[in-house]
Amino acid sequence: MKNSKYIFAFLALLAAACDLTQEIDLELPDAGGQPVVECYLEPGEPYRLLLTRSSAYFDDFPQDPQEFIDQILIDSAEIEIRRGAETIPLDNVANIDFDFSKLYNYSSTELVPYDTLSDFELFILLPDGSSIEASTMILPVVPIDSVVIEFPEEEVDPDSIPKARALTYISDNPTQVNYYRRMYHWNSLDSIPEQDFVTSDDFVDNGTLVFGTGFDYPVGDTLYNSIFHMTEDYYNYQLSIFNSIAANANPFAPPGLIESNVRGSSDPLGIFTGLSIYRDTTIVEE
Amino acid sequence: MRVNSSSYIPNVVKPEIMKLTFSLSLLFVVHLIYGQVTISGTVRDGETGETLIGATVFIEESGSGSSTNAYGFYSLETESQDSITLVYSYVGYQSERKRIGGRESRVIDVDLSGEGIDLEEVVVQSNSFREQLRSTQMSVENITTAEAKLLPAFFGEVDILKTIQLKPGIASGSEGRTGLFVRGGSPDQNLIVLDEAVVYNPNHLFGFFSTFNADAVKNVEIYKGGFPAEYGGRVSSVIDVKLRDGNDKKFSGSGGIGLITSRLTLEGPLIEDKSSFIVSGRRTYVDVFTRAVNRANEDNEDFNAIPNYYFYDFNAKVNYSLGERDRLFLSGYFGRDKFSFEDEVFTFGFDWGNATGTARWNHIFNQKLFSNTTFTFSDYDYEISNELTGFSFSLGSSVRDISLKSDFYYALSNSHDIKFGANVIRHQFDVGRLKAGSDDGEVSFSAGEQLTGLQFGAYVSDEMNWGDRLKANLGLRFSGFHNETTYLGLEPRAAFNYSLTDNLSLKASYARMMQYVHLVSTASLALPTDIWYPSTETVRPQISNQVAVGGALLLGDGYYLTNEYYYKKLDNQIEFANFAELFANDNLEEEFLFGEGYGYGMELGFEKKVGKLQGWLGYTLSYVRRREFASINGGNEFFPVFDRRHDFTAVGIYKFNKKYSLSATWVYGTGDRVWVPVSRIVHQGAPGADVEPFVTQYQEPRNEFRQPAYHRLDLGLVINFFPSWGESDLTISVYNVYDRRNPFFITLQPEFPDDFEDQTVGLEVPQGITAEQVSLFPILPSVTWNFKF
Repeated sequence: MKNSKYIFAFLALLAAACDLTQEIDLELPDAGGQPVVECYLEPGEPYRLLLTRSSAYFDDFPQDPQEFIDQILIDSAEIEIRRGAETIPLDNVANIDFDFSKLYNYSSTELVPYDTLSDFELFILLPDGSSIEASTMILPVVPIDSVVIEFPEEEVDPDSIPKARALTYISDNPTQVNYYRRMYHWNSLDSIPEQDFVTSDDFVDNGTLVFGTGFDYPVGDTLYNSIFHMTEDYYNYQLSIFNSIAANANPFAPPGLIESNVRGSSDPLGIFTGLSIYRDTTIVEE
Repeated sequence: MRVNSSSYIPNVVKPEIMKLTFSLSLLFVVHLIYGQVTISGTVRDGETGETLIGATVFIEESGSGSSTNAYGFYSLETESQDSITLVYSYVGYQSERKRIGGRESRVIDVDLSGEGIDLEEVVVQSNSFREQLRSTQMSVENITTAEAKLLPAFFGEVDILKTIQLKPGIASGSEGRTGLFVRGGSPDQNLIVLDEAVVYNPNHLFGFFSTFNADAVKNVEIYKGGFPAEYGGRVSSVIDVKLRDGNDKKFSGSGGIGLITSRLTLEGPLIEDKSSFIVSGRRTYVDVFTRAVNRANEDNEDFNAIPNYYFYDFNAKVNYSLGERDRLFLSGYFGRDKFSFEDEVFTFGFDWGNATGTARWNHIFNQKLFSNTTFTFSDYDYEISNELTGFSFSLGSSVRDISLKSDFYYALSNSHDIKFGANVIRHQFDVGRLKAGSDDGEVSFSAGEQLTGLQFGAYVSDEMNWGDRLKANLGLRFSGFHNETTYLGLEPRAAFNYSLTDNLSLKASYARMMQYVHLVSTASLALPTDIWYPSTETVRPQISNQVAVGGALLLGDGYYLTNEYYYKKLDNQIEFANFAELFANDNLEEEFLFGEGYGYGMELGFEKKVGKLQGWLGYTLSYVRRREFASINGGNEFFPVFDRRHDFTAVGIYKFNKKYSLSATWVYGTGDRVWVPVSRIVHQGAPGADVEPFVTQYQEPRNEFRQPAYHRLDLGLVINFFPSWGESDLTISVYNVYDRRNPFFITLQPEFPDDFEDQTVGLEVPQGITAEQVSLFPILPSVTWNFKF
C-alpha cells in the first residue's frame, strides 16, 4: 500500500480543510487481558522478556507512567528459556536498557551467546496456570558492506547549506530467502528512527541491496544505520504490527490480525526471536 | 493439460440440454410453414440518425408486435393480407403510423421525430412501461444520458454510473464513489462493457468519477439477474454502455464548462445519410492552478510543492453504411489519470487508464436474420515511476484483451425470437511488473508475472410466447477458459413472464454465471493498482446461481410498480490472506483464499412517468454473507463490508416549463460494515524502535460493526436558454444539501496533551482514545454551463 499514502494524504488534507472529522460513540465488547510477549535474544545482552496484557480499546490510561506500566505488566510468571541442554530461568526482576529506553519485567544475568546453530525454546507458566510456548533461532548477522555519503551533483541553491544522503549497501545471499529490517537514526540511537521498515529479498537480482535516505544531512551529522537479519516469524510479526497501526488510520489499508509466533493455552500474542543486528555509525563529511 | 469439465456440467443439466436442442430444431422446421409475410427494418431518430434501442413496432390488424434490438433492427411476421398498418413508437418521440401492402414481405426503415411533443410528455426512459411489463426480462435497469442530465450531479459532473446507483438493488460503495455492489456481489463481479469492449477499471480519481463521458453515451443498461444468454464472464451484473453513433444529418456540437472539467463533443455526417462521426473529450483542470501556484512559489523555501493531478478521456466513433444490408462501426475510448510530483531531486509519476477499441459489422442476411460481428480491444494498465538521483523505480500491471464475437438474431416467428452466437477472448496479464535499481546497474530488483488465458463461449436462446399470457426466454451458454488448465461450464438461463391481467405480470428467472478473471484488491475503495488475475489450476472460476421471482404492476399509463425477491449463491469466491502483499509478488496465488457466499433480499420500485412531476422510489432489503474461507473466522460465516441492510432512494424531477426544471434525490443506506479493533497492546519493539503504546488489535469475527447510516439530499436546477445559435443551459447542483457528515471511515485516535511533542523513544502515555468518523464531502454547490449548437 505504499502509494496509498499519497492518496490518503490528499483525502486527509481535504477532510482537515473542511473540518470533516467528528467524534462518535462506539460501543466495543469487553476485550483485553490477552498475554503479550516480547522477547528479543540479542547476542551479548542479557536474556530478558517483557510480559504484558492487552487492554480493551477504551480502557483508561493512567497518567502516571508507573501506574500505567503496573496496569499492563503480568508479574509472578515462571519463565525459562532452553538452548540445547541448557536452561536459563528468567526472574521477575526489572531490567532497563538505558541505551534504548527499554523496560523488561523478566530477565537473567546470563548473556545471550551468538549461537546460530541451536534452537531456543521459551516456556512460560502464567499465574493462572495457563502456558505460553515458542521457539526461535539466532540468524547470522548480515554486515553492512558500505555506507556511501553523496551530495547532489547539481548545486540546488548556492545560499543553502549542502546536504547529503547516505546509501547503505548490503550483500544478500541469493541461495535462501532472507528478511531484513532497516532502521536508521539521526544523531542519537535513543531517538525515533528516521526509517523503520521490513523487507524480503524476493526481488533482488544481483545480490546487492541498497537503502537510501533523502538529501537531508549536512556535514557533521551522525547517522546510525542498522540492518536486522530477521527470521520469517519476526518479519511476519513486525509487518503485521506496522500494518495494524496503518489500518487504523488509513482507509486504503485493510485491517488484519497480528501474526505472532507464541502459542499456548493462554491464547497469547507476541514474538520470541533472535536479533541479528549490524549497526554502522557514519558522520557526514565533505 | 487437465480438463475440469465434468465438475461444471452437472448431470441433471444434460437431459435439459438435449430437450432444448430438440425443441430448437423443431422450431426451425415449423418455420417452413408458408402464408406469412415478414416486415423488418431499422428505427432511427429522425433528427440525428441515431438508431433507437427498444422502439416498439406493432401491427394494428393482428395486435402482434416486436421491439428493436440493440442495433435498432426489428423483424415481425403476420398473416398475408391486403394491407397492414404498422405503428412505430418510442417514448419521447411522435408515433409513426404506416399503411402498407400486406401481400409480400417488406423492409421498412422509419425515422421518428421528437419534435412537437409537449415537454411533460417527454419521458426519459427508452422502454415503455408496457414493454417492460410484457418482457420476460426482469432485474434490469435502464438509464439514458438525457435522464442523468436532469438530476443533481456531484461537482456538476453528470455521471451515468452514479445515476444508476439510484436504482433499486444497486448499492454504491460509499461516499461519492462509482463502485457498484449488486445483489451481494462485489464490484469486480460486474461486467462493464463500452460498445461491447470490456472496461476493466471504470473509475477516475479513485472512483469519485466514472470513465464514461455522459455526452458520448447513448444508453446504459444494467442487468442484476435473469441474465440473457449472450452475456457471460461475470457473476453479479452486466452493465452495457452504448456510445452514440453521431448525427448523420447535420454537423453539431455540444459541451460544457464546469468546476472540475470542461467537455466538448462534435458530430456530423461524413457522407450524408451514409456515414457519420462523433468525437468527444473532457479534461479536468485543477492541475492548471496547482502548477501556477507551484511556479509562483518556486523561490519560497517554506513552500511544499502541490502534486499535480488531472484526468482526461476521449471517445470517437465513425459509422459507415455499406448499403441496405451492411453497416460498419469503429469506436474507441482512451482515458488516463495522471498524478505527478517533482522537485530538485525527486520525480514521482503515477498514471493509469483504459483504452478500448471496437470494430463492428452489422449485416442483415434477410428479413429474419440479423448479425452483429464485433472485434474489440481492451487495455487497462497503471504505472508508478519514481526517480531519485542515481536510482529509479517502476511498478506496473496491465490486462489486455482482444476478442471476436458474433451474435445472430433470428426472428423465427412472432412467437419465437432466437439469438445465438459465440465469442472468444484472448487475455494477457502483466502482473506486478517491478523494475528498480541504480543507474549504474550495481543494484537491481525485478519482479513480475506474465500470464495469458483464452476465454470462449457460445450460446443460444429463444424468446417464446406460449399462448397469450405466458412468455418464456430459455437459453443456454457454454463457456470455457484455457491456459495451464482448462475449465468448461454450462450456464443455463431461464426467464418467465405470466400476465395475470393486462396490467399485472408475474416474473421468475434463473441464471448461472461463470467468471474466469478476478480482481486482486483488498481495499474497499477502488484503487488504480487493483489488478486482474486469470483462473489457474489453483484459482478456480467464480460461479453464481441466482433465482429471482417478482411482479410488475402498471397503474394507469404512467405509474409502474415492481417487486422482486432474489437469492444468489456464489461459489469459489476470493478473499486475500492477512495483510497480503498484492503489489509486487511473484507468488501472488499464495495470497488467495477461497470460500463461498450468498446473498438474498427484496427490491421494491415505483416509477412515475406522467405529468410535470416524474421520478421514482426504490427500496432494497438485502443480506450478504461469506463463509468457508479456511483462514478467515475459522471457516465460519462473516459479513463482507457491503452487507447493507436497507437502501432507500427517492428521485424527483419537476418540469415547470421548457425553461426550468428542478430535481431532487434523497438516498438513505444502512451504514457499511467495518472491522474495528476491540483491544490494544503496548508494543515496546526491538532496541532502536519506537515504543507503540496503542497498537490496534483486530480480532475475529471481522466486520461486526456498522458505520452510522448514510443519507444525503441533492438538489439540481436546470435553466434552459434558447439563443439563435442553438441551446444552452445552466445546471446548478447542490450536493449534500443539509450538510450531513456521512462516514467515510472510522479511526480510533489517541489523545495527547496539547503541548505533547513525540520526539524521543520511550513510553508516552496518551490521555485517552476517541473514536472519530472521517467524512469526505460537506455541502458542495456547483454550476455547469452546457451548450449545444
